[in-house]
Amino acid sequence: MTEATGTPFVLNTDKGLETSLRGFLRQLLESGNIGALILPLKVPSGDSFAWIMLNDAGMIDDAVPFPATMPVQGAKALRSLTRKERGELTVMALMRPCEIRAGIELSKLGQVNTENLILATYDCAGAVPLQSYVSDPAAAEKNFKEFFITGEPDQNAKPICASCTDFSMVDSDIHFGYFGVREKGMLVIPGTVRGTDLLKKMDLQTASGSELLPVWKAEVEKLTEKRSSVRKIVFKKTEKDISGFTGMLNVFENCIGCHNCQSVCPVCYCRLCYFGSEASRTNPEAMVNEAVKRGGISLPPDRIMFHTGRLAHMSLSCVSCGQCTDACPVSIPVADVFSFVAEQTQHTFEYKAGRNDGKPLPLRDFKKSELPGVHKLVKDAEPGGTSHE
Amino acid sequence: MNKEFTPRITSFLCKWCSYTGADLAGTSRLQYSTSIIPLQVMCSSRVDPVFLLKAYLSGSDGVLMGGCHPGDCHYETGNYHTRRRFALVKEVFDSLGLESARLKLSWISASEGPKFARVANEYTEEIRKLGENPTRKSIFL
Amino acid sequence: MSSINIEKSAEKGINDLLRHLLGNGKVDAVLAMRMVKSSGAWDLALVTDVKNLAELSPLAPVMTVNASQVLSNLSLSGKKIAAVLKPCELRGFVERVKREQGSLENLITISHTCGGVFPLDLVVEGSVDDLLHKYEKVVATGEIPSNIRDTCKACEHFIPMNADITIAAAGECKPGHGCMIYINSDKAKEALLECTGHHGNDLLDPISLEKLAAARAKEREKLFSSIEKDCSGLDGLVNIFGKCVGCHGCSRVCPICYCTLCDFESANFDYNLPYFEEHLARKGALRLPPDTMLFHMGRLTHMSFSCVGCGMCSDVCPVSIPVAAVFSRTGAKTASIFDYVPGRDVAEEIPVMIFKEEEFPELG
Repeated sequence: MTEATGTPFVLNTDKGLETSLRGFLRQLLESGNIGALILPLKVPSGDSFAWIMLNDAGMIDDAVPFPATMPVQGAKALRSLTRKERGELTVMALMRPCEIRAGIELSKLGQVNTENLILATYDCAGAVPLQSYVSDPAAAEKNFKEFFITGEPDQNAKPICASCTDFSMVDSDIHFGYFGVREKGMLVIPGTVRGTDLLKKMDLQTASGSELLPVWKAEVEKLTEKRSSVRKIVFKKTEKDISGFTGMLNVFENCIGCHNCQSVCPVCYCRLCYFGSEASRTNPEAMVNEAVKRGGISLPPDRIMFHTGRLAHMSLSCVSCGQCTDACPVSIPVADVFSFVAEQTQHTFEYKAGRNDGKPLPLRDFKKSELPGVHKLVKDAEPGGTSHE
Repeated sequence: MNKEFTPRITSFLCKWCSYTGADLAGTSRLQYSTSIIPLQVMCSSRVDPVFLLKAYLSGSDGVLMGGCHPGDCHYETGNYHTRRRFALVKEVFDSLGLESARLKLSWISASEGPKFARVANEYTEEIRKLGENPTRKSIFL
Repeated sequence: MSSINIEKSAEKGINDLLRHLLGNGKVDAVLAMRMVKSSGAWDLALVTDVKNLAELSPLAPVMTVNASQVLSNLSLSGKKIAAVLKPCELRGFVERVKREQGSLENLITISHTCGGVFPLDLVVEGSVDDLLHKYEKVVATGEIPSNIRDTCKACEHFIPMNADITIAAAGECKPGHGCMIYINSDKAKEALLECTGHHGNDLLDPISLEKLAAARAKEREKLFSSIEKDCSGLDGLVNIFGKCVGCHGCSRVCPICYCTLCDFESANFDYNLPYFEEHLARKGALRLPPDTMLFHMGRLTHMSFSCVGCGMCSDVCPVSIPVAAVFSRTGAKTASIFDYVPGRDVAEEIPVMIFKEEEFPELG
């Protein structure tokens, strides 16, 4: 959880969280301080949501500010809008914390330009898996309501959500906080100078949230603690599952090489993934020779290579949104593995994906003296080192 | 029907025939529909089927493809390919129950200024009868 | 041309056939489906050691990838390979060869009358032993198993079109008939000269497949008319494809979509801000990322006439869009206007690469 940069306001929630948030958004759009909003709307078939950029205030009533599931990672919407040109239009996007964090990673990677974006987040209770939503929207909505109220993702939520500890205020410009205070109101918390300025300009005639802020904070901390303990358990299991020579093989044995996990990943921004390119195409003769050497090989080739390669390419920026697991047609718990490995790689570089704390991407930076672990590995590999024992 | 409705017809016209035909219509002071939005292409076969789709999905009420008469293509066979691709896109539209009348292919030579004006006017009328393209308003495309 | 009857089940018979080919050096490797015994996971295996042939389940109703994708690269190895393909995989490969994505030169293609395959989620759910047992029983009676892919139920091309070797594996079987192997090319004939079994001159009997053909035609009609109802007009299109998440998995697993970089992932479809502003001004709203319908309609124009209806696209769709049904239905229509049948003949050119001077008189 990041800190407020100014005094929070309180929105009246007598008519429910969604209504009060819609009212705020309408006021914001009509104030002229922003040019458009990016919000989820239900698709006409009613079994999913789509990101819609709108400047027609009348459409806000159709928006679903807290959607039960996450069909398209929001950072992808931000990317499609700002990758080519930044422009003058100020747009506010209301998204889950992991979507905004991915957006921030993409901005470091030069794929999103946040200059004229207002990034807004809300306390995220988790999301239901996309497949469960699509197959039975009504049941999924019902399940979502249950953990939306408690703030504790249960067995009906995406597995990754239960172990997510970045579910509340991240480096967003504005955060909507309601955990622990929803009966009394919803906090509108500025998180950046830009957010503070915007709220000032809006001149909200609502109560100050100074009193509710500590209550909300305590609740978020309590939930963070709970999720941390779940995280430990989940990671322990994943560590066991993927360890050893056969670990990855077992976890990914059903992989068909469709690369859905990569294409829905918000931080895998390459237009042409290296692992789909000509450069990575196996020489066919070498492939048969390899088969001769081993008596046979499994095809398509390089599936484990793909996953480990992706871990090397993007785990430092992984925000653990779980889209990869949702998109896997053969139900591999991709996100569990990536989230676990991401924690290790990010820890190595004392980096946290999705933070806007001025730290550069780890692989774009170095210090002359760092990474004692690697130093030790190099030393051990030298003649006489421990690796020769 | 809304009398105010002015169709917008994205028109891909080949440089050698149809576009020159449109020019001739102009220099001959022939009145033709202002709904026509001409885009010059070197050959009608330059037009990827996706261009037609993009024009349609972006709210064009009609999409006109103009090329040289079969056999007269400046590049000899370009317009034969155009015809196949056009037939293909039309079939895709029909199979999806979309209004394939919003797509039109016409052979107009450089000397056929009057034909260009006639095609432009008739097609505009046809589209006017069809009404506004529903893609103009749909937000989920 | 000729035939061989091995007095065993089809599964065992094809294993003998592969053993003959690999064991006697007729081929360097065999490509076929395999179930990994220890875990029950399925993959395509390239086997070079006769000892490992027993692991293969060449006729299993499972398709993890359309093998034609893998075969494209593999077929350029310069090595002789016997590939066991489902009819749609073979047709897909023929379409790829037409697009210069592979070669038939060093291949012996083995295909079989196909009873259809299970959807992927069924395959990964757990052990398929029970399912397989039931499947075999139903297929042998010439009926359609209820749990195969929708497009398989509706597939008319379950008899391989141009395989070097065809195995009878579906349709009404006479008990004790054995494994019938039909040889369709000189290449295959030469390779199988000394294969054990009763050599003869039998031809694949289409009559035994009539019941299945009729059932499939009925299912096809049913599937297509339901799609025609659901996916009609702009509203229908948005209803079907509106929930698309833009993962493009359907195009990546498609045997026909061979482009290394799909047009719809290229910079051609990145937009400047004025594009978005124009949409906002006109409609008050637009979808991000844009071009969801364009992608699917675009793919329909780019490849539908070559669609072999394998159903991989539907299987990998994370939001259960019936992609394959839409594409095979439109594909049947776009192919028919050019009198084209995808995968029928490698010498037949892709319809958009050729033309006739006199055609489509109603256009222009």
